[in-house]
Amino acid sequence: MAEYVSNPDEAKEYWGRYKFFYFFIAMTFVIFSIRLWYLQIISGNELREFSEKNRIKQLKIPAPRGLILDRQGKVLVQNLPGFEVVLSPQYIQSLDELATTVGPIIGLEPEKIVARVQRSRRINGPFALIKLKENLSREEVFRLKRIHLDTPGLEIRETILRHYPLYKNGAQLFGYVSEISKKQLPLLNELYKGIIRFEQGDIIGKSGIEENLEKDIRGSDGISFIQVDAHGRETSLKNPNILGEKITDQDATHGNNAVLTIDRDIQEAAYASFKKLDRIGGLVAMKSDGQVLAWLSEPAFDPNEFAATISTQTWSQLINDPFKPMRNKVIQDHHSPGSTFKPFVALAALEEKKITETQIVYAPGVFYFGKRPYHDHQKGGHGYINIYDALERSSNVFFYQLGIKLGIDKMFDYISLLGIGQKTGIELAREVPGNMPNSAWKKQNRGEEWQEGENLSTAIGQGFVETTLLQMTLAYNTIGLKGKVYRPYVIQKIVDQEGKVLKENFPQLQRDLTQTQPNGVKISDKTFSIVREGMRRVANGDRGTARFWKIPGVQMAGKTGTAQVMGFSADQIYANCMSRPVHMRHHGWFVAFAPADNPEITVGVLAEHSCHGNTGAAPIVRDVIQAYFQKYHPEVIAEATKTKKVTKEHTAEKAETTEDE
Amino acid sequence: MELSVSYEEKTILKRLDWNLILVIFALNVIGLINLFSATHGPNSKDVESLFVNQIVWLVSGWSVFFIITLLDYALVTKLAYIVYFINLLAIVYVDFFGKIALGAQRWIDFGFFRYQPSETMKLAMIMVLAKVLSIKNTLNKGMGFKDLAIPLFLLIIPFALIMKQPDLGTAMMVTAISGTMILFSRVRKHILVSAIILISVSIPLAWKYVLHDYQKNRVLTFLTPENDPRKTGYNALQSKYAVGSGQFFGKGFRKGTQSQLEFLPERHTDFIYSVLSEEHGFVGSITTIGLFCILFFLIIRIAFQARDKFGALLSVGVLSYIFWHMFVNMGMVIGLLPIVGVPLPLLSYGGSSMLTTMAGLGLISSVAFRRYLF
Repeated sequence: MAEYVSNPDEAKEYWGRYKFFYFFIAMTFVIFSIRLWYLQIISGNELREFSEKNRIKQLKIPAPRGLILDRQGKVLVQNLPGFEVVLSPQYIQSLDELATTVGPIIGLEPEKIVARVQRSRRINGPFALIKLKENLSREEVFRLKRIHLDTPGLEIRETILRHYPLYKNGAQLFGYVSEISKKQLPLLNELYKGIIRFEQGDIIGKSGIEENLEKDIRGSDGISFIQVDAHGRETSLKNPNILGEKITDQDATHGNNAVLTIDRDIQEAAYASFKKLDRIGGLVAMKSDGQVLAWLSEPAFDPNEFAATISTQTWSQLINDPFKPMRNKVIQDHHSPGSTFKPFVALAALEEKKITETQIVYAPGVFYFGKRPYHDHQKGGHGYINIYDALERSSNVFFYQLGIKLGIDKMFDYISLLGIGQKTGIELAREVPGNMPNSAWKKQNRGEEWQEGENLSTAIGQGFVETTLLQMTLAYNTIGLKGKVYRPYVIQKIVDQEGKVLKENFPQLQRDLTQTQPNGVKISDKTFSIVREGMRRVANGDRGTARFWKIPGVQMAGKTGTAQVMGFSADQIYANCMSRPVHMRHHGWFVAFAPADNPEITVGVLAEHSCHGNTGAAPIVRDVIQAYFQKYHPEVIAEATKTKKVTKEHTAEKAETTEDE
Repeated sequence: MELSVSYEEKTILKRLDWNLILVIFALNVIGLINLFSATHGPNSKDVESLFVNQIVWLVSGWSVFFIITLLDYALVTKLAYIVYFINLLAIVYVDFFGKIALGAQRWIDFGFFRYQPSETMKLAMIMVLAKVLSIKNTLNKGMGFKDLAIPLFLLIIPFALIMKQPDLGTAMMVTAISGTMILFSRVRKHILVSAIILISVSIPLAWKYVLHDYQKNRVLTFLTPENDPRKTGYNALQSKYAVGSGQFFGKGFRKGTQSQLEFLPERHTDFIYSVLSEEHGFVGSITTIGLFCILFFLIIRIAFQARDKFGALLSVGVLSYIFWHMFVNMGMVIGLLPIVGVPLPLLSYGGSSMLTTMAGLGLISSVAFRRYLF
């Protein structure tokens, strides 16, 4: 060890070097002060804001959606208290144990619960709640409550649940709600700019009225501000040690109620009739001023399943079902109208004087145009018939001849006035226009001239003609009203929670066809009378194609039809529709109004794959019209049943199937 | 003899550097107030007891301070190598059997106390270097390669052992302190130049072959903290929010939301200064830096007045110890330097740091006690 001697003078060696320290320390002081000034004074406000954002979390209080009511105030869609089960990972003692006890109760595999909790812990930390299942059944709630106390971390919470008391009935009309998707979020925020601001996790209307009236029935969500720590734990704002002006919470505002023109009783009668006959397809019933009374599309989905989280299995079943339960078949599908088109052709021909009320025409079983045979659905033909007979029996050959005489452009002039090939303008989304061709249309879309032969198929509602069920029903309604075209509507009014009417829709007459229209044509009262009479005979005449379906005291006027599903040769069309596989069978149409002489209601039914309009669709139309009269004019039916016993009740199965191509 | 003793006893209070003691005490008070806030958040029951621990460390620290003050620091020359050697052994032990914390082995667990030998190594380094450097005559040319051999050898061993833990922060601190002392003792120009060249070459090499990924990340995040706010940049960003949101007067005692609600990581240790800046604002932050500067100036004055080179070098060593810790820690907290786990002397929670700092300050006090009076 070196010798060490203390020498007072030796330290002087260092004296000149201390100035470097003074310099460095002063520099450090200056630089740090400038930096602190920059952070705390210049950026202070901005950084304060960041620190506030850290700790203040906005919790959304979802607003209850408005109710959807029928025309008499009966509930169609409502809110019910629901239950959901959530987990708070920080309180869970044994995850495996919890998963094995809770899993079987709510039908989730324990491994999946474990995986979800672990994932959420990793991503969102131990304080983020994990929603295991929404919309618990009573049984599930009961069983969960029993194990609740022995299972720390398990929580059962109350929620607002959208409930559809009609279940599948009218599901496509009322729509359903579910969580907004990532794809929709930016689109909807653009669409509702300045009105609603959607956020991830919001429940929104996804189809039907729920979607259409989103901004009216949604209400506005409330906000509750809470203070959280870095782990997402809620930390009381009342703690006197914690800075923070208490920010006042915002209450949620209940959405407005929507009153529809729908009549729940008729809606239910329609559904019962569909179910009784085990039919699929669509139905729409409207009052003659355009108010929709009932609206069905079958098969359907249960919107209650969407209100909770729908299982992927159910969802894939729904979208892969060949009979398309998600589709609103009243407006989203179009088909050949088949024979239901004939009254329109009759109107045009009568107005154009191509036929008169009394003129007799020979209608054999086969009609040759050029060298090509065009068949009637009845092999022997109908013989010598007038226009009334032609409508009553649905003679193809009769209408082939009218088609030739009229030509497509004349048919177009009249028939498009009835609304065929155009959207009806109903409030609902995704309505398709269908198609009413003319020669210009064909040239433009197919690049070919209109062929003479195509007049024949058009005259019996085949070829390029395509119509939606709503269009057909509206056109028939127009015939019933002798030319008055109303806009169909389903939303009557929007009413706030105090009952104040915010918005109201009224019947809207769009045009009166007995007046000359912009395209220079009109249809006279007389012409309408003739066609209406022909249609009355369809349901009431001895050889009417829908004569089996009567209502005591009320006469219907309508027309049956068949929409071909696939192009078969004429022979096959006759015999064996019912023997084909279901998806290859034809669709049956029946559209009718009643009473025949002064209609109040028009009902259209498209019975998909039912082969025939008369057995497939007509009984349902009859049931719905009967339900309407029983409800609104019970005396008429009571009177009729008193005076004479109803002759014979037909059922769809027993009825003769008069072919009604 | 008897007379001189009684003379010493009578003047013992006079000979103490009261300014030094007062400034240290002021920093202690600030440190305790701040630590109380940092450990008493609404959800931080688990760290509340640390405050009491710190008081225990502080009392022990002051005891060490006064014991060392009263002992003649000349004793240190006799003990320097022993202390250095024992400390090296402790680091070796830690490297192979120590507790693992934050991915590095740093502690020996004594139950009531987790001893971190790399922390006391800083002081041991100061002692041996002061001893070695004080016998060099550097008045004219400064030290050459021969003169530097022993100091560098003494540095490289603990440096390598600490890097192995791995604890880059502490290794850098040991180097910075030793470097300051060596430079203070004056080095020949050509050596200085070649050292600068050597360092600038070795940094990219170290980046590629020596640094761990997490260490590289820290540097990268420092350069662009906003890139990755939830992960590596989180600490830097939260600290910036805390400091900035304090504004001029601060949010008030125990009202700093960043610290109380635990958005600040390591808030009672490495980020203690963020807590202070948030709750006491620009005023509190500058006051604290100011107190440190006063402390530094007092130490420089003591070094200046030291009765011998050894005392002066001890003071310079302790000065650089406190200065570099403050510089790196505060620089990190206010976003001027990358995140390095270095405690703020006298303010951060921690027994090893507190005892080492107080022992170092005790040496200063001892030098002051025996200062050369003009």
